[in-house]
Amino acid sequence: MSRLSVFAVAAAVGLLGIGAACAQTGKVTVVTSFAKDVTDPFKKAFEKAYPGATLDVQNRNTNAGVKYLEETRSNNQVDIFWASAPDAFEALKVKGLLQKYQVKTVGIPEKIGSFPINDPQGFYFGFAASGYGIMWNDRYARANKLPEPKDWSDLARPVYFDHTLMAAPSRSGTTHLTIETILQGEGWDKGWRTIKEVSGNFRQVTDRSFGVPEAVNSGQVGFGVVIDFFAFSAQASGFPVKFVYPTVTTIVPANVGLIANAPNKAAGEAFLDFLLSPAGQTVLLEPGIRRLPVLPATYAQAPADYPNPFKDPSLGARVKFDVEISEKRTDVVDALFDQMITFQLEGLKGATKAIHDAEAALAKKDNAEARALVKEARDLVAAMPITEPQARAPEITSAFTGAKEKGARQAELEQQWAAFAKGKFEQARTKAEQAVKLAR
Amino acid sequence: MMQTMDLARTRAAVDVDIRNVDLSYGVNHVLKDVSLRIKPGEFFAFLGPSGCGKTTLLRLIAGFNRADRGDVLVGGEDVSNLPPWKRDVGMVFQSYALWPHMSVAQNVAFGLEERKVPKAEVVRRVQAALDLVGLGHLADRKPSQLSGGQQQRVAVARTIVVEPKVLLLDEPLSNLDAKMRIQVRRELRDLQQRLNLTTIFVTHDQEEANAICDRIAIMNDGVIQQIGTPVELYEKPANLFVANFLGAANVIAGKIEGRSFVMGEGLQVALPEESHPPTNARLVIRPHFLKVDHAPPAGSLPAVVSHIEFLGANVRYGLTMGDVSLSVDAPFQSSTALYKPGEQVFVTMPLDKGAWLAV
Amino acid sequence: MTQAVLSHKRPRGRRASATPGQIGLALAIAAFFVVFLAAPVATVVYVAFTEKGTGAFTLINFVDFARTDLFIRSFWNSIYASTMTVVVASMIALPLAYITTRFDFRGSVLIQTLAFLPLIMPPFVGAVAMLLLFGRNGSINLLLDDYFDFKIPFMEGLNGVIFVQSIHYFPFILVNLSTAMRNIDRSMEEAAQNLGSSGFRLFRRIVLPLAMPGYVAGASLVFVKVMDDLATPLLLGVKDMLAPQAYLRVTSVGITDPMGYVISVVLVLIAVLCMWLWARAVAGKDYNTEQRGGGGLAKRSMKPHEKWIAYGVVLLILLLVLAPHISLLLLSFATVWSFSPLPDAYTTAHYTRVFSESFDYIKNTLIYSSLAGLIDIIIGGAIAYLVLRTKLIGRTWLDWAASAALAIPGVVLGIGFLRAFYDVQLPGGRPLATMWIMIVLALAVRRLAYALRACYASLQQISVSLEEAAESLGATKLRSARKILLPLMVGGILAGFITSFATAAVELSATLMLVQSSDDAPLVYGLYVFMQSAAGRGPGAALGVIAVLLVAACTYLSHLVIERTQSAKGAIQ
Repeated sequence: MSRLSVFAVAAAVGLLGIGAACAQTGKVTVVTSFAKDVTDPFKKAFEKAYPGATLDVQNRNTNAGVKYLEETRSNNQVDIFWASAPDAFEALKVKGLLQKYQVKTVGIPEKIGSFPINDPQGFYFGFAASGYGIMWNDRYARANKLPEPKDWSDLARPVYFDHTLMAAPSRSGTTHLTIETILQGEGWDKGWRTIKEVSGNFRQVTDRSFGVPEAVNSGQVGFGVVIDFFAFSAQASGFPVKFVYPTVTTIVPANVGLIANAPNKAAGEAFLDFLLSPAGQTVLLEPGIRRLPVLPATYAQAPADYPNPFKDPSLGARVKFDVEISEKRTDVVDALFDQMITFQLEGLKGATKAIHDAEAALAKKDNAEARALVKEARDLVAAMPITEPQARAPEITSAFTGAKEKGARQAELEQQWAAFAKGKFEQARTKAEQAVKLAR
Repeated sequence: MMQTMDLARTRAAVDVDIRNVDLSYGVNHVLKDVSLRIKPGEFFAFLGPSGCGKTTLLRLIAGFNRADRGDVLVGGEDVSNLPPWKRDVGMVFQSYALWPHMSVAQNVAFGLEERKVPKAEVVRRVQAALDLVGLGHLADRKPSQLSGGQQQRVAVARTIVVEPKVLLLDEPLSNLDAKMRIQVRRELRDLQQRLNLTTIFVTHDQEEANAICDRIAIMNDGVIQQIGTPVELYEKPANLFVANFLGAANVIAGKIEGRSFVMGEGLQVALPEESHPPTNARLVIRPHFLKVDHAPPAGSLPAVVSHIEFLGANVRYGLTMGDVSLSVDAPFQSSTALYKPGEQVFVTMPLDKGAWLAV
Repeated sequence: MTQAVLSHKRPRGRRASATPGQIGLALAIAAFFVVFLAAPVATVVYVAFTEKGTGAFTLINFVDFARTDLFIRSFWNSIYASTMTVVVASMIALPLAYITTRFDFRGSVLIQTLAFLPLIMPPFVGAVAMLLLFGRNGSINLLLDDYFDFKIPFMEGLNGVIFVQSIHYFPFILVNLSTAMRNIDRSMEEAAQNLGSSGFRLFRRIVLPLAMPGYVAGASLVFVKVMDDLATPLLLGVKDMLAPQAYLRVTSVGITDPMGYVISVVLVLIAVLCMWLWARAVAGKDYNTEQRGGGGLAKRSMKPHEKWIAYGVVLLILLLVLAPHISLLLLSFATVWSFSPLPDAYTTAHYTRVFSESFDYIKNTLIYSSLAGLIDIIIGGAIAYLVLRTKLIGRTWLDWAASAALAIPGVVLGIGFLRAFYDVQLPGGRPLATMWIMIVLALAVRRLAYALRACYASLQQISVSLEEAAESLGATKLRSARKILLPLMVGGILAGFITSFATAAVELSATLMLVQSSDDAPLVYGLYVFMQSAAGRGPGAALGVIAVLLVAACTYLSHLVIERTQSAKGAIQ
């Protein structure tokens, strides 16, 4: 920033005579990725509970919010960051953009499902939980005569080919957690195999979380992998959509944290406490919000069919979630997903379609040789360019962190992985097509 | 320029017949029952002040304006309902309207290409047309690289190359300087004669029209005032407008008493034998027909010199005879032979050189 | 030949030196670019030129770009989509421009306004509306499937991008082409008719070549915009294009990947290259036909059957390009619209919900966009003047800087503004970057090229001799510019203003980074907030309709003014 430009801007501002003083007192500035439907009830409740305080909500998507806080840290004007994805908070914490706080509310357990609710060091706190599941448009399903899915594995069935979608884990923190849960639950290789089999049916990989419910709501795509409240709020708005928790699901907390150097720290803390208080937790039960409170006592006021992760073991408890492993390989997993699935979707779908065709042909007329080819094809699709230990080895992770030491560049690795996936998918397709010919 | 004459003219000249044409723009009545016939091969002018409807009439013949009533016939064919591109009537625009994105040759070739003339012939005829106007060496230039006179000639070449039935010229000289104007108008006349092409020329400059046109239609306020050869119009103006518009004229109101013309406060001039003007008449007489003398010749009237204008070959004297004002042109002889303002002189009025208009 | 009286081509070097005023103007504009474009962007994209780890200068990242299949594929996809969009958009814009400007055609102003609307498709909600209509399960395909058992893949892959972008951006061609066509002297066409030309041949041989500077200005804008646009490809799920790649990389958390910025640099280079080619294409084609009085600008009249055909063509095109807006309107009144040709039921509830809170949004939008538009026409007009009327060294750099701004992704500029101005504190400790004026400046920089192209094209059509006449009568350069050029350029300037204004009104990417509180937020921000939830779709659409109506009203007014100035000009014959 040159001195000249400072002067010019100052002059411009002075000329225009706009310099409204902004009152800091009582105003809590919140950067959030949550929709108006969620923030408005909280704003109302909070301002009622703390007369004189106002909640100023700045809506930004999670990534933009993190970037914003990073860019403005030198003269921070934000008190609270409020969003779903725990990894965004982890990133903020690592960058020293959050400050510690001791929450006043008692009775919040350590974990929800298998996921720790709060940051162990006290930099951020889960205030609500949500589970991942499958949402579909009922009209779409009926018009295309598609069965109702029950589990993740259902989405890999040929009948759903080109009818499903999901957000890219690199673009949606919660989707990332779902992928990570599958990887931790099924193991690296098997997990990726499942993910690719499901992804082979994708019509699209969206670049925002809300892109998935949007497409399902309007009926452009039939089935989406979404976080539960997207489906619930769509139902509350009258959309013909249904939702199911698969037998193995992730329950992930949505979080809130106090920004370092908050201009109005006291009021920020007040909001934090309010969110976690019984009064704040009850707001979560509103139909337009419908998230799972982290304070178990709140469920007493919930409707009868309200899912309760503290009682229902299917909600996320089955998978042990290792936060440390997850953190180490976050970027690697996202990049692998993007390079092998998001940007290679055409190749992956081509291979998947060929495999589906081959299996359909085999079901009519079996052929051992063809069966072997199909297995080969499936293995080719499932093949991974790096192993699980490599994924969290510093040689590879350092390419993504901007670490100071010299090493492989991200672009180099990505090109390698993309080329790897492209080649394997082509081979798989060829093999599966051969199998179709043999089975005829 | 114009020594060569390759451009073969295959058609006979045609006539243009305009019958009872009326045209209005909203409340603005631009042409009022206009009828006239232009003979084959004639160089004809529409002459009048700006806003008289002359350009509108020209555009009507070209097909750019449509009459509310009346017909336009070219060579006996009624073209009133034909669009411009089917009329085969060539027009040279006041602005020349040369297309700036095309070279000179491309501009000239345009009409031939539209007529699907074979390529080789296009090349030949374009060259011939450009040679005809003396611009054969500038074929590859862009119009913006030409002078005004050259642009004008390109515009003419572009129009005549397609051998239109009639050539329409909309104030073609107005964008040229005085010297060029005289040169180009001669060229135009020459060209028209060589091609034997019925040509209509719109101008507000009477000298231009007189110099090159066979016949002239004088227009004012949407009405044709008079049609005739330049000499007829000059000698026998049909009305006051024509008299005043064509050169300088003394217009003197008076009465016929016996065989005398009585004007002003009783000044009398004897009528010639063959002259039978109406009782209440206006005399139109050109300044150079009047004579000024020191001594009173027979039949002369006394007058006083009010002012002098030196015009080069002539000197124009303003005279007053009681309440009548007159202009008199006398050939310039020498500075010593000039009359001075205030000087008493005698004017001779040869009434046989004048024209009579009814009051 | 005694003298070249009417040559309107200036001999080269006629104005070998510039006046101090002109130099000052050029320096002021250059300073504007340094402060509000180069410096902020440099704070972001320098990463593209640094080596990982050491931070030393390197071009290795560009080598990586060239080595990565994904980027190369993206590059060619972007080029292909941009080129084809120009072709398709031209097919939409040409008939509209020709019919409305060269003929006496009732409703020309209305048509020009309506045909401008596609440019103001609000983000997100516009996309949803498009999908509901043209998507794989949109109204049209559902109906086709029901009755004829087939679907048309309007929105699939690159062809979908081309389809949507053509509808979205053809107004750039329309606006610039219309302005150029209005300025063609009538006698140019009449001369051709007189020589036997008519219909399409007349159009192709005379009208189009004469309007070429305007057309190329519009087409190059479309090309660069399609290159730079990320929302449409992402909405259609097309990620292998340059702009989406840059966006996805720049906005991902925790990734300090230089490639996003490398792509941004590549985009800027393409934009500048494109504008350079544009400048070369129109060089020396100052087809000002404002000369020697005569013909005038009157419009031709059509015969009844021609009129019917013309109305038919215009209506068909309007129906196509306004379909998204019709769909948006339906959506704003819809209770639920899901997998059906039309909404289930209608309600006005969304408007009720939106009206109470949209006043601030509307006010902010109007202030921001009109200020941005104003800044743009001032700077754009000044640059056009400097480039076309002076011989200042380096004047074309100003032009290129403005064009480069067009290609800088909004996010990059937004972050750049934050970085560059956040540490500049106002009295009271408030960062300068949090002032709403920064949003205005960011919008102005982003939209400058639009206004510039329009000013450039209109100035190019004005003969230098008109100013010379004024100067010879004793007017200074400044006065002749103000008294002669400005009035003659009004049409072009207004066209530029409308384009900048209207597109700034629906710009989201840079705005989103810079909005500091909901009090300062423009309409699109409100729309964005609504569109993040299922319940917000209806209100979002309602807000979108309000945005469109608002901009349309302003556009209509401006068109009226343009028409009036044109007819005033036409009256001088």
